[in-house]
Amino acid sequence: MAASSALQAVDPEGPVPSGQPQVPRISLRGIRKTFGSIEALRGVDLDIAPGECVGLIGDNAAGKSTLTKIISGTYIADSGSIAIDGEPVSFTSPAEARARHIEMVFQDLSLCDHIDVMGNLFLGREETRWSFLNNASMRERARAMLDDLDIRIPKLTAKVAQLSGGQRQAIAIARAASFEPRVLIMDEPTSALAVAEVEAVLRLINRVKARGVSVILITHRLQDLFRVCDKIAVMYEGTKVAERAIGDTSLEDLVRLIVGKGEEI
Amino acid sequence: MSVTYTERGQGSALADFLSEKAQVLSIAFFFVVCVAFFSIATDVFLTPGNLLNVLRQAAPILVVAVAMTFVIITAGIDLSVGSQVALINASAALTLSFGVPWPLVVLAMLLLGAAIGLGQGWFVAYQGIPAFIVTLAGLSILRGAALYMTKGYSIPITDVPGFFVLGRGTLLGIPVPAIIALAVAAAGALVIGSQIYGRRVVAVGSNPEAARRVGMPAKWTIASVYMLTGIASAVAGLLIAARLGSGSSNAAVGFELQVIAAVVLGGTSLFGGRGSILGTILGTLTIAVIGNGLILMHISPFFTQIVTGAIILIAIWLNTRIFTAGFSFRRKPS
Ligand SMILES: Nc1ncnc2c1ncn2[C@@H]1O[C@H](COP(=O)(O)OP(=O)(O)OP(=O)(O)O)[C@@H](O)[C@H]1O
Ligand SMILES: [Mg+2]
Repeated sequence: MAASSALQAVDPEGPVPSGQPQVPRISLRGIRKTFGSIEALRGVDLDIAPGECVGLIGDNAAGKSTLTKIISGTYIADSGSIAIDGEPVSFTSPAEARARHIEMVFQDLSLCDHIDVMGNLFLGREETRWSFLNNASMRERARAMLDDLDIRIPKLTAKVAQLSGGQRQAIAIARAASFEPRVLIMDEPTSALAVAEVEAVLRLINRVKARGVSVILITHRLQDLFRVCDKIAVMYEGTKVAERAIGDTSLEDLVRLIVGKGEEI
Repeated sequence: MSVTYTERGQGSALADFLSEKAQVLSIAFFFVVCVAFFSIATDVFLTPGNLLNVLRQAAPILVVAVAMTFVIITAGIDLSVGSQVALINASAALTLSFGVPWPLVVLAMLLLGAAIGLGQGWFVAYQGIPAFIVTLAGLSILRGAALYMTKGYSIPITDVPGFFVLGRGTLLGIPVPAIIALAVAAAGALVIGSQIYGRRVVAVGSNPEAARRVGMPAKWTIASVYMLTGIASAVAGLLIAARLGSGSSNAAVGFELQVIAAVVLGGTSLFGGRGSILGTILGTLTIAVIGNGLILMHISPFFTQIVTGAIILIAIWLNTRIFTAGFSFRRKPS
């Protein structure tokens, strides 16, 4: 598919040749989070380089979504530190993370059912003129955003509630990927997608990686990980139990790690 | 065997339009039926004088109903509007009786309304107390404040012809209050349909967590819609004071129910995310026409209340029965 695009991630550094020491795009240290009596995260460390894709896997309720929501400012960690390009940050709201070009596709998609396709693509990023929505210019860009994902949505004015599960998911992905992300987090982005659409998402990930965007991919489709990821982090009961370079692991190895029978690092 | 892959047709634009606008179309139809009925049942209803009178009386309801549409789109409710109208109504009469120039009084009342609304909005948005509770408390507190200020007496307003124009004047034969109300409604439709603020209101009503996650000022948006009902109630209180030439703590009793009924009759969902100012205009006019028509038919005013309530219930029930396709009152599971 053509790389024609509404996707225009600008990245000053670009991908750094491997082997060279570099500051991680995102660096997490000792992240902890409790919800009432549940220790959702019990001290997680993770480094992600620019242009790197990390696959985050683990059992249900392992804490994957919680960890990524902390990166995107949706939750605030109880303790631990986050650094972006070496600079310590502490987000108090999703708006702050988004201002730093951290974009996330949420597991529940976070779409507004009563707003049309175009409105959802531009949610929180509306183009305005004298405080009026600039629909003409948004319509043009919305088309390009969807074409980039090979997604077929006949009417940009359709309410999101009327769309299929996969179409909704595609809108959430297009929204996160289209505004020059520096970190792109995808929480099970392909769970409702058909074959061709999954391929489009994987192509998209490779494309943004090439532009230096760091990607975190959470998925239960382990075979997809080998198509796009550079390393895999395995979570278990709120901790990171293993981290593997993609070349050093196999499907069977990952399955073993997820169910908790792998050897610790 | 070969199968050709074909694309789905686009479907008729008319069908889309009908299902999209079903709610507004049905209230428009109901409105026309009411007008036709009272035109036949009474001689006076369809006279220009009476129609202008209906407009004049509907104006305060419409002003507040437009703001209430915003509140209900955020999945909130403001039960205190009637009490706010009474408080403003009484305060305006009191300050005018002290000899304060009327333009200053108007400005002060608008600010007072905004402050009251913002106060309630703060409890709802930033403290997470259900709007129903906050504004129910407001209903009691504000009516009480109005009663306390006036000791229950009606306060006459005298010698401010400029102020009276607001309630009694006409422009090109149309009552000034009706013009003000229609201007407010037009502004409301523009804001909800094509402004960034309107988009935020709909987003917050549709999925507040999504609005927060994309970086919208979700809490401020919720607080601000209560400020809108506060300002609108101030306008309504002033229009009523200027029409009646007096201020009273007993003004606008039951006003909140008329306003909420008008908004819901107009197709705005009580569960948030969806609403229409055009529907609110039609809903308001329908309620005004029913009230006026029943009086013209010399039906006991006690009975009028019963009929109004029953008609509203039946109309809404029919709405949800006939036009359920995509228009359920329940939030869709997602
Ligand atoms: N908002 C919340 N309130 C209370 N508990 C929560 C909340 N969010 C997550 N948890 C708890 O934290 C733990 C980790 O949840 P999380 O959603 O991060 O899992 P996950 O790894 O994403 O699982 P899945 O693969 O099912 O999506 C779970 O036990 C969950 O019950
Ligand atoms: Mg999850």
